[in-house]
Amino acid sequence: MSEALVRSDPIPAGPFLGRDASLKAAPRLARYVLRARASAAVEKVLGAQIPTAIGGFANGVACLGPDEWLMFASDGRESPVDESGSVSVTEVSDRSVGIILEGARAAEILATGCPLDLDHFAVGRATRTIYETVEIVIVREAMDRFHIEVWRSFAPWLWTALTTAATE
Amino acid sequence: MILIHCPYCDEQRPEIEFANAGQAHIARPSDPSAMSDEEWEHYLFIRANPRGRHHERWRHNHGCGRFFNAVRDTVTDKFETTYKAGEPRR
Repeated sequence: MSEALVRSDPIPAGPFLGRDASLKAAPRLARYVLRARASAAVEKVLGAQIPTAIGGFANGVACLGPDEWLMFASDGRESPVDESGSVSVTEVSDRSVGIILEGARAAEILATGCPLDLDHFAVGRATRTIYETVEIVIVREAMDRFHIEVWRSFAPWLWTALTTAATE
Repeated sequence: MILIHCPYCDEQRPEIEFANAGQAHIARPSDPSAMSDEEWEHYLFIRANPRGRHHERWRHNHGCGRFFNAVRDTVTDKFETTYKAGEPRR
């Protein structure tokens, strides 16, 4: 039986090229959720500065809530270790997949289902939000480039929705 | 779409990121076993249903994930103010 098992990816490996916009799967990443009452405790664990304002993104770490950070790291990076017991570290690398939406129409395509005011969503910001009914985390890497994180099981639907919007 | 001000994100965010979580400022009794059935029923199930100004709990569940309190007019659906959980009633 085991030879019949194949790994299936939630979104196609190849990019989608539309008019003034393209979509592609982000490279594999390690992801960690860090929860702590104080940002200083997280900085101690990571040994790097992290954003303290909700919506901030720096050094691969997004501040999603007053006590919640989402960290992206290159695939295979070892889990941060907290010895003080004041930071909860959870590995969530395989929970979500990343989609890179790029091109002059990137914001327009994302706005087809995301109600955020993207005109006022500055480069370098990250937030959890929603696309239609699917929860996503977006990072604006450039004016015309978004990194979209979506839970694995929702990814085929989101991919179809975004590529459909890009074809319109 | 209504924009709701999240006191934690300190931003106006679209309504569909939020979820209503019922009436606000309901304190859990410190000694439930000393209460009569009627008092317990009142704590569990009986809620205000005002026409007009209403204190409600909301959660920014597709955002920062926090619960906060809001004063909303139930007639016009306008949010008068929002404030962090734990702060005194406004």
